[in-house]
Amino acid sequence: MSEVNNTRGNLWVNRLKKDFRASLAVVLLLCFAPLVVTTPYSFGILIVSIYFALLALGWNLLAGFTGQFSLAPAAFAMLGAYTTALLDYHLQTPLSIGIPAAIFGTAVLGWLLGRVVLRLTGPYLSLTTLSFAEIARVVVGNSIEFTRGDQGLNVPTLFENRIGYYYLFLMVLVATLVLLYLLMKSRTGRFWLAIRDDATGAESRGIDVVRYKTLAFSLSCAICGLAGSLYGTFSQLVSPELGLLMQTGLVISMVVIGGMGTLTGPIVGAMLVYLASEWMRDFGGIQMIVFSAAVILFARFLRTGLWGLASKMMQGKGKP
Amino acid sequence: MSLLRTEGLQKNFGGVAAVDDCSIAVEAGEILGLIGPNGSGKTTLLNILSGFLAPDAGSVWLADERVTGMSPVQLARRGLLRMFQMSRVFTRISAFDNMLTAGLAMGLAESEAESRAATLFEELTLTHVQYLDAGQLSGGQRKLLEFGMCFIAPPAIALLDEPFAAVHPVMRETMARFIRSRHALGQTFVLVSHDMPIIVDLCQRAVCMNAGRVIAEGATRAVLESAAVIEAYLGSSAHV
Repeated sequence: MSEVNNTRGNLWVNRLKKDFRASLAVVLLLCFAPLVVTTPYSFGILIVSIYFALLALGWNLLAGFTGQFSLAPAAFAMLGAYTTALLDYHLQTPLSIGIPAAIFGTAVLGWLLGRVVLRLTGPYLSLTTLSFAEIARVVVGNSIEFTRGDQGLNVPTLFENRIGYYYLFLMVLVATLVLLYLLMKSRTGRFWLAIRDDATGAESRGIDVVRYKTLAFSLSCAICGLAGSLYGTFSQLVSPELGLLMQTGLVISMVVIGGMGTLTGPIVGAMLVYLASEWMRDFGGIQMIVFSAAVILFARFLRTGLWGLASKMMQGKGKP
Repeated sequence: MSLLRTEGLQKNFGGVAAVDDCSIAVEAGEILGLIGPNGSGKTTLLNILSGFLAPDAGSVWLADERVTGMSPVQLARRGLLRMFQMSRVFTRISAFDNMLTAGLAMGLAESEAESRAATLFEELTLTHVQYLDAGQLSGGQRKLLEFGMCFIAPPAIALLDEPFAAVHPVMRETMARFIRSRHALGQTFVLVSHDMPIIVDLCQRAVCMNAGRVIAEGATRAVLESAAVIEAYLGSSAHV
């Protein structure tokens, strides 16, 4: 049973402020990581963790804040990465245009997908987004003339050193957090929460559900597209594997374990799950079994995730 | 001119006429009771009036504007606000945030919505639970909250579907008192209820539906005493 909180602290704006501060504290901790992390390999792991944190924040905007359970975040990361890569490969477009193009392209595709799934809920919505994700991955993989198929595409890099990338990813993470915080604090965020809790009720109050759902889809996909585009320039290679359903599974487990419908949860979840995934690499392919089991346990016993648990503990400490 | 009127509304579900050639009029400043046995088409009519269902035929007029087939959002922005039979509140945010969201959706500035929300919580005696998540409120409190959300920006017409059903008598009285006070200020209501004493107490006029059709309308007492209404509620043997 959920905790009863009948104080002003339970007002959305106060919950959000506390959550935002905690998320910034996590980012601040990450800023100091180079003091203890020194090898390029470890930096690589941290950078990929932040890439997943961005995907998790993007997916959480849809699933956690708006109640739209999409199964396409990894597909949009792949599409973002390919937008930048294809522009470079075919038109030699510089990254200063290629990366914004990825954001714009995935935002438009997300808007279109949002329109398609507008009246769908629950499993029908998830299955439609899953179908879209698989179609996108298969099309990219099989359009050998255009995308070089499974061989992938090379992408120019933004920085030669990993520390530059690390701080670039951190800056993008902070910018995404600030954007999400401002949106969730505004009318738009409140309307998303209302749609999540009861779309019919929201409509009856005069909230334009169509407009706000498609906006959430578009923005969520743009965040994933940006993450994918940056990841492509970091790894200097994009391939259809970026859009594998398993990647989406990882993103979902990160958000569920960290705490859905929060800003801090997806970041904490992404760091923990990806670091644990790297650590478990030595034990064979058991990562997904462990994360799936963790998701079942969290869904059953701790729906608010780790951030929810931490908030509850802090709230308990604050009581006289 | 009536504030809200319907002309020959028709809505069929398969072979069943849920609303059948229904024409009613709601005058500005009145409380119109909409009564009828279960399955008589009251909620379907409300769904059409609030834009959740499009009629198969007929028209709906809000003052001199034809609003047939408009979306719930368009109608809400014209001041046609609706309360559902099963409460529809936003369960994972606080009751106060629910009220605030309703105000923002009606275009109020945040500070204005906050101050109106605080006043409404006082009027509805819900101040003691205003910071609880709406999902943690009792069924009656949720109904009262949804009821209040309709009034954060005074609506042109409040369409209330069974607001008193399964609500504690004290809360019913709070709601009834609120309706009386707003009615005194000129607020128009359409009130669906099976609670006849409350219908008699609050409504100047009533419309009774049965099998999708309007079978009686007029002054509340006269409608309740009409043979057609008694037969619809109690069956033909009631006349014996």
